[in-house]
Formats: sequence, C-alpha cells, structure tokens
Amino acid sequence: MRMSLAQRVLLTWIFSLIFLIMLVLKLDSKIYWNWFLVFLPVWTFDTILILMLVVKMAGRCKPGYDPRDGQQNLRRRVWYLVAILLKLGFCLTLCARLERLTDIWLSVVCVPLWAVLVGAMVELGYNVFHYRRD
Amino acid sequence: MLFSLRELVQWLGFATFELFLHLGALLVFSVLVALRADLFVPGMSWWLVFVPLFAADGLSTYFTAIVSIRLYQENEKRLAVLRLLWVLTVLSLKLVCEVLLCQKLAEQEQARDLWFGLIVSPLFILLQLLMIRACRVN
Repeated sequence: MRMSLAQRVLLTWIFSLIFLIMLVLKLDSKIYWNWFLVFLPVWTFDTILILMLVVKMAGRCKPGYDPRDGQQNLRRRVWYLVAILLKLGFCLTLCARLERLTDIWLSVVCVPLWAVLVGAMVELGYNVFHYRRD
Repeated sequence: MLFSLRELVQWLGFATFELFLHLGALLVFSVLVALRADLFVPGMSWWLVFVPLFAADGLSTYFTAIVSIRLYQENEKRLAVLRLLWVLTVLSLKLVCEVLLCQKLAEQEQARDLWFGLIVSPLFILLQLLMIRACRVN
C-alpha cells in the first residue's frame, strides 16, 4: 500500500514542526531537556523511514519475484538506507558533542552530513543529465 | 526516499537545478560553519559564513525571474506570475530567517533581545504554506 503525497507530506510536516518547536524552546532556555530528547522527533522519523525501506526491500524475498526487475531500484534503496544511517550518525555525534560527552571537532561530526549532501547532489545531477539525454 | 524528485519539484515549486544549487550552498555553508567553530579560521565573520546561502538565494531569484519572463513571453501569464510569487515568498522567508540568525550569531551582546522563537518564525510560516501547497498538488 502506497501513501499519498499529502499523507507523506503530513508525516514530514508533523515531525519537522515538533522538532522545530522543541529546538526553539531548548535554544531559548525555556526547557532544560537533554539534547538527545530534543532530537526525539528526528529519531522517530528516521526509524519510520528505515522501517519503510526495510519492508520494501524485504518484498524482494517473496516467492516468484524476478530479481532482474528491480536491480536499479534495489541499488537506490540501499543508497537511501546508507543516507539515513549517515544522517543518524551525524545527529548522534552532534548530540553527544552538544551534551559534552565527547570533545571531537565539529569538522569530524559533519563528515557524515557532507557525505549525504554530496551523494544527494550527485543523484540530483545524474537525474538532470539523465532526463536531458532522454 | 520518501518523495520522488518529480514530487519534490511539484511540491516545493523549484526546478531541479535550483534544488541542486541550494544543496551545494548548504554543503559549502556547513563546511564554513565547521571551520569557524573549530577555530581553523578564527577571524572569519558570521556574515562571511552565510555568504553561500545568500548567494544561492540571489541566484535562485535570478533564475526564477528568467523562467518567469520566458513563460510570460510564451503567453503562460498566469503560470509565470504564480511561479514568481511562490518562489519569491519562499526565498524571502528563508532570507529573513538567515539574516536574523546571522545577526544573532554575529552580535551576541547587542542581539540579546532577539530570541530564537522570533528567528525561526519565518520557517513556521513556510511550513504552513508548504502544507497548503501539498494539499493543492495532491
């Protein structure tokens, strides 16, 4: 079953709104929660995304599925999974640094984020080039 | 991932090239923020750190103006005006948020009254607008 665009936007919207509200309250010192707790909407949203991706990928294990049908699709889903994990890694190390659990450089913390951004730019660039060639 | 590129372009109202531009700006901006925070370039002003984001907004406005003029010349007047209005609204809200954040970071003592709720308020408005647009596109 595929969610409609409005449902997917609503899902993204709710989590973004809750995260923004919690972030603003924390930055304005209205609440004194742990940074890991402030990032709770991010963890929840990423978990939902990972579950959705894993369920879709597990659909390939159904009997009678021809693996040649979605070779490119699988590659793309693996990239999405890696991207979400990289984003999770970035958020986790950022929270750890903000909570002063570790004292690593922000440049090191940002490495997973840069990898995701570069990957997204490559994918976007490929899409532009691919459509133009067609 | 959750949205296809086509859905993103329809929903956000930006061309693929503009999305590419904003992603690139975000990448350069995050590199500059990391360098500034780790004191690799201690004298760098916060206004300089935000330059990639301002440049992306400017280039995006220029690109939108050209596309709108072309659409207008091809007699797609309604589409041209709607696209111009939407993109300018989004970009101006983004720009206000960036300028306020930059001012807060650059002048921490003088900008004490500038609380983060006020800085992020354009993003809250933008979120509502995006939700309404998603219902229309759907």
